[in-house]
Formats: sequence, structure tokens, C-alpha cells
Amino acid sequence: MEIDRADGRNPNQLRPLSCSRGVLNRAHGSASWAQGSTQVLAAVYGPKAGTKKNENPEKASVEVIWKPKTGQIGKQEKEYEMVLKRTLQSICILTIHPNTTTSVIVQVVHDDGALLPCAINASCAALVDAGIPLKHLAVAICCCLADSGLVMLDPTKLEEEKMKAFVYLVLPNSILSVLPEESSSVKGEQMEQGLITSVTHGVMSVDDYLHCLERGRAATSKMSDFLRRNLQPQLSSDSSKAG
Amino acid sequence: MEQRLANAWRMTVNEKKFIESALVSGLRVDGRNLYDYRKLSINFGKEDGSAEVHLGQTRVMGIATSQLVQPYRDRPNEGTLSIFTEFSPMADPSFEPGRPGEFAVELGRVIDRGLRESRAVDTESLCVLAGKLVWAIRIDLHILDNGGNLVDAANVAALAALSTFRRPECSLGGENGQEVIVHPPEAREPLPLIIHHLPIAVTFAFFSNESTLVVDPTHQEEAVMAGRMTATLNTNGDICAIQKAGGEGVPQSVIMHCLRIAATKAADITVKIRDTVEAYNTERALRKIKRHSAPVALDVSGTVPNVRKNQVKSEDQREVSGSVGTQVEKLKPMNERKNSDQSKDIEGKVVTKSLEQGGTNSKDGNPRSFIGGPSSWDPYSRGVDWDFLKLSLASRETSKFSKKQKESQSKKSTQQASPKGSAEEMKAISPATESAKIASQTHGEKTLKDAVKPKHKRKKKAPSAVDGS
Repeated sequence: MEIDRADGRNPNQLRPLSCSRGVLNRAHGSASWAQGSTQVLAAVYGPKAGTKKNENPEKASVEVIWKPKTGQIGKQEKEYEMVLKRTLQSICILTIHPNTTTSVIVQVVHDDGALLPCAINASCAALVDAGIPLKHLAVAICCCLADSGLVMLDPTKLEEEKMKAFVYLVLPNSILSVLPEESSSVKGEQMEQGLITSVTHGVMSVDDYLHCLERGRAATSKMSDFLRRNLQPQLSSDSSKAG
Repeated sequence: MEQRLANAWRMTVNEKKFIESALVSGLRVDGRNLYDYRKLSINFGKEDGSAEVHLGQTRVMGIATSQLVQPYRDRPNEGTLSIFTEFSPMADPSFEPGRPGEFAVELGRVIDRGLRESRAVDTESLCVLAGKLVWAIRIDLHILDNGGNLVDAANVAALAALSTFRRPECSLGGENGQEVIVHPPEAREPLPLIIHHLPIAVTFAFFSNESTLVVDPTHQEEAVMAGRMTATLNTNGDICAIQKAGGEGVPQSVIMHCLRIAATKAADITVKIRDTVEAYNTERALRKIKRHSAPVALDVSGTVPNVRKNQVKSEDQREVSGSVGTQVEKLKPMNERKNSDQSKDIEGKVVTKSLEQGGTNSKDGNPRSFIGGPSSWDPYSRGVDWDFLKLSLASRETSKFSKKQKESQSKKSTQQASPKGSAEEMKAISPATESAKIASQTHGEKTLKDAVKPKHKRKKKAPSAVDGS
């Protein structure tokens, strides 16, 4: 039983993605990520000296500031900041620059569903643009669960509100290996099975959750291809500017 | 505390001296003349009332929203306008999150005075129920990138946001006319604000060397300057506000000279804002027209009460479609062919009525081919299912449709979604829709290509879809 989505997508289809890096001049790294109508702008200021009082000075720390489109900063924004911070802390290599703070500032330009995944993707691209050392990239996606048990990817705001439950998943990006298959298979399998972050809203059964996880994993391989392609060519255009 | 200071950006002595000595000879670091503005560009967002302004490297986003509130006691007949400035830490490493610093407060006040106290926006028209409910317009200005001269850029962003903002229409109802009903934008077209004039802020920077002054300083020039003045004026020749807060003393003649320069600059910027707002409004009107056609196209087939409504809609379409173009052609062959098709149809009345509806592609039709975003109203871009092609009478159409289907399949952004799944669902659809679809597809042959091709071209220009195109 298929459910019609308002914009004509099928349940496994994502909205068109677009990512542009280096959009701001003052920030050390910046990226703008759009999924359909949802658009988020992220900026990164590279390692600054000193950490906050309650942070461990033996490691680098990540500070996240979430700016909503309009209104005061409330609990929802604080929650997003916390999730984003923990996610980014797990992908950055924190031991390289101890006792420093990297600030990530996220500005919501338009919210049409799947806002937190969009922000995570934008922050990841901005970190790459700033040259912060990362273990691997993170790819985030939103899966929602309809009453019938159907799992749909990348809902719009209206769909999110109607659904029984939805979950934001952040997975590591897929590995592109130059080594022969056998040697990377063991490690590769562990990596690909990993789940960095998962935030659920609403009630879902364990089976439904695992189903969402599978679908999300399948979709992120496409997204990580997109991300990889997008992050590469910028270098050649920069060198042409210098020349 | 010391660590924060260590992170602050300080200008080197060399840079300072260079900028100052260049200015003595009338040269600016970015090559502009002393009284030239940087390139100003205004972009609008997807919602009404959101604008992003680029002034050289400075980037400011302005968003206008509205809310129903109680009015102030001393002004029961007027709505309110409030401006909130967010100095986002992404704009400058020295901007701290949390409470706004003095510069942020000053910027907010300058724009506030220019807009609100000069009565640029008509607040009396924002009154709904005198003494009880009025509209409060809130403008949020987000500074995204500090390339210098934030006041001017933020001012333009606020004006652009206000000019394109639409507030919901509301009417009085209920028993004693005291209840306010707010109509959602789908029900009734939201209304623009009444703006009497556009107050434009022009900023001057003074340097310690006597009469050197520049217009629109960059952030490096701001770090070197000795004093600053902002003059807010409009094209009617009114000075709405002047702000010169401290800094170096400047002779009166220089101030008068500045005001004259500001008048010419304000005229240029006003023209620019008006042009971009008009372009946005015409584009918005076109979008509204297209949106009216979409419900006709997407309507599911054959229930009788729908017919009359849709016929009316198709009438509207035909009237309006002078500007939209291809729609007229599409509807005509459909309605012409309908008559000839009645004889072929096995299903009888229900089917012919569903044909009359104009948009024959049903909503539960092929979900496989996704071309473009929510704005894709084109009913024919959805592709065709294989099973029905086999049933269709005209065999020559099958080859053409298979081509189109391949195209549309290549547009899919993620894997599979099981064509099997949709084929099963196809079979489950009522026979009415089936034959309606076949019939329409056999008819639509002429116009399908006309409709589909430009759509695909547009899709290719759009920023990368995930499918690796």
C-alpha cells in the first residue's frame, strides 16, 4: 500500500540536494546546504585558543551556536545544539589541537522538514571547508514512519507533522577504498555498520526502528557519493584563481 | 578573558598606515572611488518577507513576521513595528553569542529610528480591533558576514523584507462583530504592507587626516577610521535620521557636503530596491497563477461533485493561461478528443466525466518519476506504467512513452523503490482511472513533449540532484 506524498516523490526518494562551500568571507569555513526547501547556513571558526571551564583541556572542544530563523532561543534550539555538538565531537579528531575551541554556527534560512539532518550535513561540509581534521564525514537523514508502517525518507514539514513518528539518523559516510577488497573488508564492515547519532520523536516499535535504520543506511550511500563529489572539485577552481 | 582577547583580530600597523596614506591620495584599497558604493544585490527567499542583501562582502538576512497582539495603551489604533538585530558569531570572530554588544544595540536603534519614527510603514492600517487587537510586525535582521558597513546593508534588508512581506487577511465576525477570523493564505490572498517611503541609510567614515571621508567603508577601513556618521534619508528630500555618535570632530561644511552626497546615493539605492521588489512581485504573481492550475492537474478521477468545480477551474485556466502559455493547447485537444472517445469507452459516464476534469493524471499514478520539486505541476511528467501501455490501443505511442519513461527513471534520486511495487499498485486502481489514463495519454501525445522538454531542461540547470547526473 503506497502512500502519496504531496510533492510526488516515492517513499525512498530524497529531495534535491545542493551544497555550496566557501559562501562567507570572514568565517574560516562555511557551507550552505539545501534539501528541497529546507536550507541551512553553517560557519566554522577554526581552532581558537582556550576551552570553556567545564570542558576537558586535554582535548579540542567543539562549540555549537544554533540561530533560529526568528524568535528567541528556546529549549528546542538548545537541544539541537547539544545533539550537533555531540555528533561533531565524534567525527573530529580531538587530540590534534588540545586546549582549543572550534566554533560552529548554524543559521536556519528556511525550515521545511528534516532540519536537524540538514544542519548536520551543512556543519560537516563547513568543517571540511575550514580544514578541521576529521576522522570521517557524517551523513544525516530523516526517516519517518506512517501509521501504516510505511517508512518514508526526507519528509517535508507537513509530512513530519502528520506522521506517527520520525527519526533523525547520522551515519558515517561510505568508504571509498583504494586498497584491494579483502584487506579492508573487516574494518570496512564495522565502519559501515556504525551509527553515530539517532534522535527519535514519537512512538515506534523496535522492528520499525530497525527498518528505518536499514532504509536510512541505503540512502546514505547515495548521499555520501553526492557529498564526496561535491567536496572535491573546489580545489581545482581555487588553484585557477591563484593562477 | 585573556584568551578571548588573544583571539580578537587586530589590524597591523603596516595595514593601518597603508590605508591612511592611500586615502590621502584619494585611493581606496579595493579600487573604488571615495564616494562609491560596493555592488548591492538583493535576493528573496521562498517565503514572503525574507530577503538577503549582499553589499560587497557584507551579507545580511532580513525576515519579517507578524502576530496579533494587544496595542499599546496610548496608541490603541495603531499596529507596532519592532526590529531585532542578531549579530551572529558567524559574521565576525569578535561577535559573541548572547547579549548584544553596544554596536549591535546602536545599529538596531538607527534602523528603528529610520523606519519606525519616520512613519515609513503605515501602522494605522495594521489595526484590527481598536484597543484590542492589532498586528505587530517583527523584523529579524541576521548579520551573516561582516564586510563593513553593516548599518546600510541591514537597513536595505529590512526594507526589502517589509516590501515583500504579506500579512494574512482577517475579518471581523462572530456575534457582536468582536471575533477576529484570520484567513490562512490558501483561503484568501495575504495583503502587503502600506509603505509610504523608503528611508535609506548612508554611512560615512572620517579619517584623522583632515577632510578625508569615504562612503560605505569596508571592515578594514572601519578599523582605521576616526569617526563615523550615518544619514538616513528618502527620495522625497526628507532627512529621517542622522547618527554621529562621538568620534572625531568634523566641520559643518563637511556635514552638509555629506548630506548632499547621501541624497544622490539614496536615490540610487531606492531605485534598486524598487526594481528588485517589482521583479519579485511579478514572479510571485506568476507562481500564484501556476498554483491555481495545479489542483486541477492533480485531482483524482471521477466523482461527480468534483466535475463542476473543476470545469470552473479549467475555465479560469483558459482565461489566465494567456501568460502561462502551453496550458491552453493542452486543454483544447483534451476536450476535443473527449467527444470522440466516448464511443470507445467501455466504462461509460463515469469515465467521460473524469476526462472532463482536464487534469487526467491521477495522484495515485506513477510515483516513480520525480521531476523537480513541489512546484512541479506538470501532469504529464509523471511517466507511464508499462502495463497500461500494453493495453493502450495506439501502438505507436508505446515507443515514445517508453523513451520518456526511461528519461524519467534516470531522474530518480535513490535506488529502486521497486517498480514492482508500483505496478501492483497500478493494478489495484479502479478501472475508471485506468482507462482515463490510457485515454489521456493517447491524447496527450502532441502536447506531452512540449510540456516535458522545457521541464527537463530546467531540471538540469538546477543544483545537483543526488542521482549523479
